[in-house]
Amino acid sequence: MRVAVIGIGTMGLLHAGILNALEGVELCAMADKSNHLLGMIKNHKSVPVFDDYVKMLEGEKPDAAVIATPVKLHVAMMRECAKRGIHFLVEKPLSLNAHEAEKVLQEVADKKLVTMVGYVLRYTETFQKAKEVLSSGALGRIQGFEGTSYVAQLFQGGKGWRSNRKDSGGGVVISQATHLLDLLHWYFGEPTRVTATCQYLYSEEVEDAAHAQLEFDNGVRGWIDCSWSRRHHRLLEIGIEVQGENGTLSVDDDSVKLYLDDAAFGHGAGWTHWSKPDLFHGVTIDIGGPQYTRQDEAFARAVMLGGTLDTDIVSAWRVQKTVDALYKSAERRGEPVKP
Amino acid sequence: MTIDPILLGHNQFFGVNHLEAGAGNQKAIYFSDTQRILEVIRGARELGVRGMMMSTHERALLVADEFRKDGALQKEFGVYLLIPDVAKYIRQANEKGLVNAITDSLGSTSMTEKLATLLSGGIGALTGDATKVLTTLIDFEVGPFRDLNLKSIVLHDVLADLALGLDMPEVFATFDRHVRERYGAIPGYGTKNLPRMVAMLKRAGVENPFIMAAINKKGFWVNPTLAECEQCLRTEKLRLLAMSSLAAGYLKPDEAYEYLYSLPNVESVVVGVSNMRHGEETFGAIRRQLERRV
Repeated sequence: MRVAVIGIGTMGLLHAGILNALEGVELCAMADKSNHLLGMIKNHKSVPVFDDYVKMLEGEKPDAAVIATPVKLHVAMMRECAKRGIHFLVEKPLSLNAHEAEKVLQEVADKKLVTMVGYVLRYTETFQKAKEVLSSGALGRIQGFEGTSYVAQLFQGGKGWRSNRKDSGGGVVISQATHLLDLLHWYFGEPTRVTATCQYLYSEEVEDAAHAQLEFDNGVRGWIDCSWSRRHHRLLEIGIEVQGENGTLSVDDDSVKLYLDDAAFGHGAGWTHWSKPDLFHGVTIDIGGPQYTRQDEAFARAVMLGGTLDTDIVSAWRVQKTVDALYKSAERRGEPVKP
Repeated sequence: MTIDPILLGHNQFFGVNHLEAGAGNQKAIYFSDTQRILEVIRGARELGVRGMMMSTHERALLVADEFRKDGALQKEFGVYLLIPDVAKYIRQANEKGLVNAITDSLGSTSMTEKLATLLSGGIGALTGDATKVLTTLIDFEVGPFRDLNLKSIVLHDVLADLALGLDMPEVFATFDRHVRERYGAIPGYGTKNLPRMVAMLKRAGVENPFIMAAINKKGFWVNPTLAECEQCLRTEKLRLLAMSSLAAGYLKPDEAYEYLYSLPNVESVVVGVSNMRHGEETFGAIRRQLERRV
């Protein structure tokens, strides 16, 4: 398949590098408005580069596109792709809010396009293992969870599009905690009630920290806490702890720790610990971590062989509804909101 | 120039722990006192270690200052400099975009450095000449460490693997030439994709490359498979700097190094230790295997 990349920032380059190296995939063009990186690519790569992505879609007619641009551009770009029957992988979050993405859902369904949203943690071994354990029912009835998302990133007013609410849709919740919310959706289904508070520690327009309680349709309840102004977290660290009738499970990027009162569904009683080396499997090419390769491979496979993905835009749209509810609740000083 | 057979790693000094982020933070607290880092470096030196990996992390600048105060460390201890400090750029790019992250970094240098940077490549950077951008970035990152005993300058795996994925052999050719000509150092290449990188460097005209890659019998961080990497070591001409030889602490030193030195073309190994007891155990296990190999 021929794939074009829109937006040459960190994520655009990462996807371009991986896809270009996959069997059966050809990176056919790249587009960006900024001349800095385009110039670099132009000098060293034979792929055509465009400063107008619509012209690129028209001229190159790719089978698929990667959209890795600021959030406010996502909807228009997805629609330009959908209009031309181009499958797409769009970086997370899906859109500024759930409402603006609704028209895309229909257009994509009409054309039967393969879509993927960059919730890459579903392709990280530890979070996959946790999904497997949770789905097995080994923990018994789920009583509750705690989820955290922290990174030491921002300790003064931000710069660039992320600090501007009109362009980003919000702060740490929409740009980072959506990974955590996506995992919670994957693990527990859809929230039916959200209450939240947001804190503006350094930024004026977007929240730097937030705390929210979520209640899911199956009765599971828990809380999340997130901040991008949390010292001592060199890299983004996302973790979830789950309490069940028969034990506990905790998962983060590095490991999965399961404790069971009684052996169940193939898991022994007491502690079971899976570390990253236990769960590691090599990939065709590793650039930013094997999870990105698995993600791009899943996308390419679905495009080439046909098929659906559970990380599609419908699933990401549901996450977006939860984000909207969280922001609405925080605006109303913690009043419960139904997504 | 010869490559030292054992190199002290640096991740533990700066809060990096691949088995558990929390443990990394604990060590970062301990090593927030630069003297404690120096204790480990001097201890490793007493145990016969003659060089170390060093990132261009802001705390590494403090370590470099200590090297200068200690003439022996400055002149005799080999520095294998890993550039650029990718984590810093990614954190900043997450916040303000990739281009802002790079230009702000270059902007944070002193006036003299800025002028030098501008003269040597800044104009190229503005016009988008990739070769100039790369050599400017190298000079910017290497600058503060230039007066140390720089044995090698190693291109960080994230950047090297990106150029690999994008299929840009010129990046490697440029890096190789610049590091040799300007610094008289051995150009090194970090990668998580050993066989692919070897093939790429061959195409780029880099002979007998010095490559830093993970290799361990657990297969942790070894791509695409352990068997293919072993095959590559057996059949290709390269000098491997083995990293993750203990699979992030998963393997015991004796079993890890017995495996490692059963492979050909292993020229050096980089391993992080946090205290002397740990150092004696780890370096001792390596030395036993090295002696057996000779």
